[in-house]
Amino acid sequence: MWVYEKKLLYPVEVTTCNPMLARYIMEQYGGADGELAAALRYMNQRYTVPDKVIGLLTDISTEEFSHLEMLATMIYKLTKDATPEQLEKAGLGAHFVNHGHSLFYENAGGVPFTTTYIQSKGDPIADLYEDIAAEEKARATYQWLIDISDDPGINDALRFLRERENIHSLRFREAVELLKDERDRKKIF
Amino acid sequence: MNASDEEWNLLKKVQQMDFVVVELTLYTDTHPNDEEAMNQWREAIKEAKKVRKQYESRFGPLSLLSVPSKQAIEVGWHWNSTPWPWQR
Repeated sequence: MWVYEKKLLYPVEVTTCNPMLARYIMEQYGGADGELAAALRYMNQRYTVPDKVIGLLTDISTEEFSHLEMLATMIYKLTKDATPEQLEKAGLGAHFVNHGHSLFYENAGGVPFTTTYIQSKGDPIADLYEDIAAEEKARATYQWLIDISDDPGINDALRFLRERENIHSLRFREAVELLKDERDRKKIF
Repeated sequence: MNASDEEWNLLKKVQQMDFVVVELTLYTDTHPNDEEAMNQWREAIKEAKKVRKQYESRFGPLSLLSVPSKQAIEVGWHWNSTPWPWQR
């Protein structure tokens, strides 16, 4: 089970309304390499991986949900005061007529989230390699977001998230090595 | 420093200390035999608990695992009280 914490993993400070930036950030909210995809992917894979890596998949998946909340906070704050005209100018006219000012799991192009973005293969090495790739793709997306954004508060939070992708990738690589060691030991005895 | 600045700064401190726990938990997941890291992890949990207690006794629980303090109840704290994290 999970218990809600009434705080963000890392502070998100936004002072300026910027619906265009919000739309770009949606890529990491409901896109193929985004936080929702990551959280759901690991949470599903954890049931059939060796015991040694269940903790890691559980803990990283849980952290991804806290990243999702940080992104939701950014999108909410960047759009809450925007007029329909401003949203339309930012390319969110179609979003507005379908969802109003509410959030939705879709990418920067307005494509709704789909589980076809993610896999669960029942093969721990295949799963972990997908997870490493997912973290690297998310890291790259964060870099492009930082490059295109000039909001200092948002960039501070995006840099934090980019670094977390690096750490998760590293931990998944270590998990692969733990499983390989175990496999090799079995061959010896 | 007004009350809301004080609250925000103490919350940031909680976020910092909790993050240390998050980070060390992931590290020890893949380095279970690193005794030095395990010690740091145990210490980090203790430190985070202290700072959380400081925050929660004055401003109310951050989760439903904490008992509301007398002080928090006196100032009218409810679980449903604003601000939620995205309203700050």
